Amino acid sequence: MAKLLLSTLFITLIGLSPLAHAQLKITVTTGMIADLVSHIAKDKAKVQALMGVGVDPHLYKATQGDVRKLSRADIIFYNGLHLEGKLQPILQKMQRRKTVIAVTENFPETRLITFDKLHDPHVWFDVSLWELAAKEVQKTLTEKDPENAAFYQRNAEQYRARLNELHQWVKQEMQKIPLAKRVLITAHDAFGYFGKAYDLEVMGLQGISTAGEFGLQDIKQLKDVIVARDISAVFVESSVSPKFIESLVKGVQAEGKQLRIGGELYSDAMGAKGSDADTYIKMVKHNVHTIRNGLLGKTTEQETH
Amino acid sequence: MPSIENWILDLWIIATASLVAASCAMVGVFLILRRQALMGDAISHSVLLGIVLAYLLAGTNTLWVMLTGAVIIGLLTAWLSESLHKLSRLQSDASIGIVFTLFFSIGVILVSLYTGHIDLDQECVLYGEIAFVPFDTVIWGDMETGTDLGPRAFWLILIVFTLVALSIAIGFERLKTVTFHPSLAVSLGINITFWHYFLMTLVSMTTVASFDAVGAILVVALLIIPASSAYLLATSLKRMLWLAIAYSQGSVWIGYALSYWLDSSIAASIAVSAGALLALTLMVIQIRKWIQQQHYAKQLQSGESA
Repeated sequence: MAKLLLSTLFITLIGLSPLAHAQLKITVTTGMIADLVSHIAKDKAKVQALMGVGVDPHLYKATQGDVRKLSRADIIFYNGLHLEGKLQPILQKMQRRKTVIAVTENFPETRLITFDKLHDPHVWFDVSLWELAAKEVQKTLTEKDPENAAFYQRNAEQYRARLNELHQWVKQEMQKIPLAKRVLITAHDAFGYFGKAYDLEVMGLQGISTAGEFGLQDIKQLKDVIVARDISAVFVESSVSPKFIESLVKGVQAEGKQLRIGGELYSDAMGAKGSDADTYIKMVKHNVHTIRNGLLGKTTEQETH
Repeated sequence: MPSIENWILDLWIIATASLVAASCAMVGVFLILRRQALMGDAISHSVLLGIVLAYLLAGTNTLWVMLTGAVIIGLLTAWLSESLHKLSRLQSDASIGIVFTLFFSIGVILVSLYTGHIDLDQECVLYGEIAFVPFDTVIWGDMETGTDLGPRAFWLILIVFTLVALSIAIGFERLKTVTFHPSLAVSLGINITFWHYFLMTLVSMTTVASFDAVGAILVVALLIIPASSAYLLATSLKRMLWLAIAYSQGSVWIGYALSYWLDSSIAASIAVSAGALLALTLMVIQIRKWIQQQHYAKQLQSGESA
């Protein structure tokens, strides 16, 4: 460690490589990617996210400062798969002048969920896919800053080990729920990958975009499923108004059946700093706890006591 | 460390915003005078139908397909509400409201019927973000090696601005007669219908191109507010047009400075500045009126005592 410090100091003093002492400036789109990059680059980079805490990517509004964040970045990471909407083609054009990388760039086609030619962008809910994203980040950092390759590799390996552990844990937790009851009902279809990876059936009120409207038919179908399969809880999402799910719950209760809101899930954005979901890993854990307890009929409060 | 490259980014943003503002201000003057101020808002909703239809017909959501669909539906909105207004003697705001809500609702139904699983709404595919304008450049030739010609939105709105400015310059006398004295225009043998539709074409083109550059809310604001400020002061159509342009440029510059200072949304800051300028104008007018009243009262008093 002392050796590393000394050599860094030496290089800084004679100013051979500006990269050795200047932090990399990295701009990312979502909070989840910011968290991922920070775990791998640590103090070697200054990571800034365009979308603030709790901002739904569909409703993100750029500020004047975002112009600078993009223009001054050494590396830009984004999610891709159309999550960034109209920003995506712009980012692709910026690849001419900058290192601009979609963390989902090298995901195998077979692992992606496809709806009429377009992919579902919410890949972060399959933890094993997020591990692939970590690989992509490590590769990019190494190419841009080869001197710290070993540092990035060590961090990435550590973080990927943690992700792997998380992936196994989520699997175990979900298996505690009886298969017939393993149905996740939320306001919009953000949990497709979660369902695919951990063997849950996922149903949503809205389509992929949180801006869309849903049909009466959708509500009726959901009600039928809930009654037929004896599902005890549905879930609200942090970035979608709870009123749709609340009206669904009231509708089912009106038919004399017990249904409650199992809790709030973080879907398109992580929680605020200081909350129990302010990192990617905490966010996944929060969601898994909430889903497991909700579907098993326990309340989250019981868990914490 | 400030670099030239960063200043160029600001310059592209301000240049694009200025052209959008000037085009909207010119078109807005005619909308205000014809009591169709909410046409921009109407078009911002009805374009959803254009986007969905274009997607269903062409099978892709490329920008050019979306823009074409949006302009055509924008035209239809303007034309239909104009015809409804004339045919049924409904007020123009009522007929605008009928047409755009109808189009928007058909759009919503089509979205839930056919495109449930893809992100297809005007917010995602049409409305632009002014902050990203400098990065979205036109590349001539190969994606890797071709020449960078500058922001696409800037060139698109430059073409629209030129068309609008030329049309108004050439058709100025006709547009004036048609707007202020429609019956005189008829007796002079001017084809009123042609000029109505000509104007509505300009409106649809300007709004859709501006949506693509700066997003919806700023377009609606720029269509209405600078022209309204100008309306408060102007004594002739020509003067109103120039005043509206001046107000729109002032809003862009003050707004950009505001967004820089607060690190806020550029579009919203420009819209707020336009509103502030209007409020300031109103205040100045009221104060001048008050001073004048005081002045007359004094004159009256001194006349009585003499």
